[in-house]
Amino acid sequence: MKKVLLVVLAVLLMATAFGCSSAPAASEAPSAGASAAESSSAEPAADGGASAGASSGWKIAMVVKDNVNAWFARTDEGVQKFAEDTGTDSFQVGPEEIDAALQVQVVEDLIAQDVDAICIYPIDPTTLEPVLAKAREAGIMVFTQEATTQESKDYDLEPFAPAEYGATLMDQLASEMGEEGTYCTMVSYVTNVAHNQWADAAVARQEEAYPNMKLVDGSDARVESEDNLERAYEKAKEMLKKYPDLKGFIGTSSNDVPGICRAIEELGLSGKVFVTGTGLPSMNESYLKSGTLKQCYLWDPANSIYALMMLAKNVLDGQTVQSGMDLGADGFNELIIDETDPTITYGKGYVGITKDNLNDLGFYF
Amino acid sequence: MNELSKRKWNRLLSHNEFYIAIIIVAICLLIEVRSGQFFTPNNLVDIVRSGIVPCIFGIGVLVVMLSGGIDLSFVPIAALAMYITNSVMLDTGFSGSIVVPFLLAGGIGIACGALNAVVISKFNLPTMIVTLGTSSIFTGLLRGVFEAKEKTASPILMELGSSKLFTAQNADSGLTSDMPSTLFILLGVVVVTFILLRYTTLGRGIYAVGGDPGAARRAGFRVTRIQFFVYCYVGLLAGIAGVTRTGMSQAAHFTSLLGTELTIIAATVLGGARITGGVGTITGTVLGAFLMTIVSNSLVLIGVPTYWQQFFTGALIVIGTGISVYQASKKYRGSLSLDERAKEELG
Amino acid sequence: MEHSGDIILKAEKIVKSFGGVHALKGVDLEIRRGEIHCLAGENGCGKSTLIKIISGDYVADSGSVTLNGTRYTKLTPIESIGEGVQVIYQDFAVFPNLTVMENIAATQTLMEHKKTVNWKHYREIAQEAVSKIGFSIDFDERVENLSVANKQLVAISRALLMSAKLIIMDEPTTALTKKEVAALFKIIKNLQASGISILFVSHKMDEVYEICDRLTVFRNGENVITTDIKEVDQKKFAYYMTGREFKQEQYTCAHPGETVLEVQDLGLPGAYEDISFCVRKGDIYGITGLLGSGRTELALSLFGMLRAKTGRILIGGKQARIHSVADAQKYGIGYVPEDRATEALFLPQSIENNMIVSVLDSYTDKNGVYHAGALRRLAEEWRESLHIKIRRLSDPVSSLSGGNQQKVVLAKWLASDLRVLILNGPTVGVDIGSKYDIHQILRDLAAQGIAIIMISDDLSELLPNCNRMMIMRGGRTVCEMDTSSTTEREVANIISDTAARC
Repeated sequence: MKKVLLVVLAVLLMATAFGCSSAPAASEAPSAGASAAESSSAEPAADGGASAGASSGWKIAMVVKDNVNAWFARTDEGVQKFAEDTGTDSFQVGPEEIDAALQVQVVEDLIAQDVDAICIYPIDPTTLEPVLAKAREAGIMVFTQEATTQESKDYDLEPFAPAEYGATLMDQLASEMGEEGTYCTMVSYVTNVAHNQWADAAVARQEEAYPNMKLVDGSDARVESEDNLERAYEKAKEMLKKYPDLKGFIGTSSNDVPGICRAIEELGLSGKVFVTGTGLPSMNESYLKSGTLKQCYLWDPANSIYALMMLAKNVLDGQTVQSGMDLGADGFNELIIDETDPTITYGKGYVGITKDNLNDLGFYF
Repeated sequence: MNELSKRKWNRLLSHNEFYIAIIIVAICLLIEVRSGQFFTPNNLVDIVRSGIVPCIFGIGVLVVMLSGGIDLSFVPIAALAMYITNSVMLDTGFSGSIVVPFLLAGGIGIACGALNAVVISKFNLPTMIVTLGTSSIFTGLLRGVFEAKEKTASPILMELGSSKLFTAQNADSGLTSDMPSTLFILLGVVVVTFILLRYTTLGRGIYAVGGDPGAARRAGFRVTRIQFFVYCYVGLLAGIAGVTRTGMSQAAHFTSLLGTELTIIAATVLGGARITGGVGTITGTVLGAFLMTIVSNSLVLIGVPTYWQQFFTGALIVIGTGISVYQASKKYRGSLSLDERAKEELG
Repeated sequence: MEHSGDIILKAEKIVKSFGGVHALKGVDLEIRRGEIHCLAGENGCGKSTLIKIISGDYVADSGSVTLNGTRYTKLTPIESIGEGVQVIYQDFAVFPNLTVMENIAATQTLMEHKKTVNWKHYREIAQEAVSKIGFSIDFDERVENLSVANKQLVAISRALLMSAKLIIMDEPTTALTKKEVAALFKIIKNLQASGISILFVSHKMDEVYEICDRLTVFRNGENVITTDIKEVDQKKFAYYMTGREFKQEQYTCAHPGETVLEVQDLGLPGAYEDISFCVRKGDIYGITGLLGSGRTELALSLFGMLRAKTGRILIGGKQARIHSVADAQKYGIGYVPEDRATEALFLPQSIENNMIVSVLDSYTDKNGVYHAGALRRLAEEWRESLHIKIRRLSDPVSSLSGGNQQKVVLAKWLASDLRVLILNGPTVGVDIGSKYDIHQILRDLAAQGIAIIMISDDLSELLPNCNRMMIMRGGRTVCEMDTSSTTEREVANIISDTAARC
């Protein structure tokens, strides 16, 4: 017994040691990749409106929220493609887990490395504000995504305009519900800016176009899933119990739609209660196939991040950001600039996912 | 009332389970009054369903607490076991007995628990510090070595999660809820742990060690061996809980699991387990876990505004555990009070 | 008494050292069947170490233990229990969280290597055990809810179950009331009558005389003497334990100075009423009475921890407003509480810090810097003059024996400018040598003109060390007297007999 334990302990310790030593190796990887990219920079860079001559000089970092989620594996593909296409020294980094304080450290490191531009998905704009301000003071340009409220940034590129996305979700839900009945919205947290903008836009669209539809009263009009599949499922069930005439859900976090679908199926409400919203193919495949879910929406993060980095490169190259700028990725060929805030820009990056196109998206997660 | 039944009554009043049960009944009534939806067949099934995994965890926590220790690593252990098991099942396309994933996850859990036990017993370190450290190790293994990504559940676990005992229907609304078969896993854990704690010398040894390790050693209990068992057992339960959860949520989402340890520890304390060890029951723990589950699954039904839900849950933990601890401290009378002694001396 | 060489335990030439320190330097101990044998000695003399060797907790470096004729050089706990040795530790080694029943029965089932628990059987075992010493108790009560005496009885019942032949009791009377002690002694005598030997570890002389047949004394890890209890008187007993002669004459105050503290008609409803007395320079003023007689509350009022409702306190002839501890200290009143460990000392802090804590202010300049060197010299002085046995001033106070801890408490007060010193139970749990030292210190202080009030229920301590005393009963003064004109018996009568007056 003792020997077995010792072996187990030894294996665990070795594994841990390996785990530790592999961490710095991983952080080496970007620069190795970058040098590979540099060596291949002799090849003519793909377009994207860039002047090829200055392309190899910039060093651009993409800061994601964590290293675990498949989403950020896909963004990394976009970063890699961008590096290949433009010959720019670019790489993706992110904290161990989704923790704003850890993300601040990542940015600090990048400041020390003296990159030219930081592209970032801020976990929490407020927490990140000082360090991004510091980056800009150090002459580093800051480009954000999913963070229109970030003060310290040069430009923010959203995959799509919230109003347009929200309206699209509502149009879809309304058509499924026959343009009548009660609905509610679900967000990760009521403090999440993007999710709430989408939900607001969806509600605005309903008020404008679908007079026979009705939002649930009071604070239950917007429930929290805590970005947790299990909670989304439990909350949806609770809502359906409390509001027997509830007929529709709009889910904004990627955990919302599959959680709501599971609740609908289990409560025996398939075909009576409808749902749409942001959704990943893998998590929704069975619901799309069973018909509980007709269509959910997503954008290809590889494209949106490719476009964000292209925007960064164009600005570094000295181009003026104007509407219609082509950022070289699907859905980002015609840049839209926000009417009130010229530092906020939009693409049209989302795609509807149905049981038919599920396997032809080019991404599956 | 005769002396004996009076004593029994007093003892009942001094038990935490009693108060928790009253609080549960009160909250259930409150929800019923506010929504008219609590005592419906499908809602009750939903509550039981949501309580299964927290209960298994809670029982694990109870066993450690009884021994006078604390384990902060059971959730990372569960995450690790859940991730590895699910990945193996996915990669091999395993479709044999459902026992296999449980054996695998249980084995991983026991191995992790054994690491805790070895460090705790060999170096005689505070259990909180050790398990805080190992919880980072386990999370680190998950992220570093296995480069874990969120995955959907493997077919066999999907099947486990969707298999049901019966479907409960609310006659009025027509809503249905499935009672998952995983309820049997919880029942199994409850029965085995109950027998262990109540009817085995080992189980009584856990209480003894939690009461006074020095006295336990002198009485002839093998304290180190008991502690070793305790941490392995928690690991086992964590592994089981991890796989159960994967099945029930149809996904191996370990990130949403990490960070729930304190809520579960709070539920156990709420159920009357003494954080200093030696006192606590399965009944109490199950009640505590269900109280937390009921509350967190009924905030919408009660009508707590979204913005206030976290506050409400937090307040429940503080008040509930406060009552528990107050109850416990009231019982620490120790020797007679000054007055009683004086009277006795006067004869 | 019959003992025909029937020896149950024979420990020979036991040596045990811990990290170079010799705790036992080759001691012997012999216990006969059916005798009550006292093992006495000051703290640190090696009593506890020997007990742990006999119980198998420690292994002796050399020497042997012979139990019932079998000689062991490396005795294990299991072997020791198997030979019928049972130790009732000071903490009783009970499980506070478990029921009476389980506490009594668990060990036996453990010895039988049972894997499962039969609760019905437990109850039977517990009933049998309890009936052996004839006490009644609720089996389902948690032990933590019992009185100290009942906890002890649980521990004794448990020991008897293990077919004990020798029961070792480590300071069994420490936390018991007089009545409980009497009950315990009755049980011990009954056990003796049934042929069980008792090793009674204690340094309370009156108890040893009352209960024991023979006596073994250790000093500094060596045998001093083994003898019939009848052969030694109190003086010799003290000498054997400490190696010192104690000559304690009746304290008298030939030339009392002016009145330092005067109490007039002091009252606190529910605690005490109409208390008047005065203490002069050079007085050691005793206050006695039962627990609950109001004596402690009175002391606390003088020290500002309780506030009297009626009457007044005069210090140096002027009315004093004592509403807080800080007030009392301002008037130069010091208080040494009953429970020094929690009320008077910072146990994990160093001895030096504990001594100087009350004078920190006066050794701190206006910038808030304190003079570490001067304070250390002060601490060294006190260590010398109080005979505090310590290795370093930087050691934590918790490492000291009760007697030495009490000296540190005294030092703490002596460091400040004191006019009145109130002591509550100054030598509870203190061994003879330190007790004598403390009394000597108090006499010296009185001679220096500090008024001392000593509260105690130990008359053998109070009478010789005080020149005047007051007896309280039910919150009132029943008698004030000169100690030279009374006897312990007379005082004891007044204390407990509700009708008696002087």
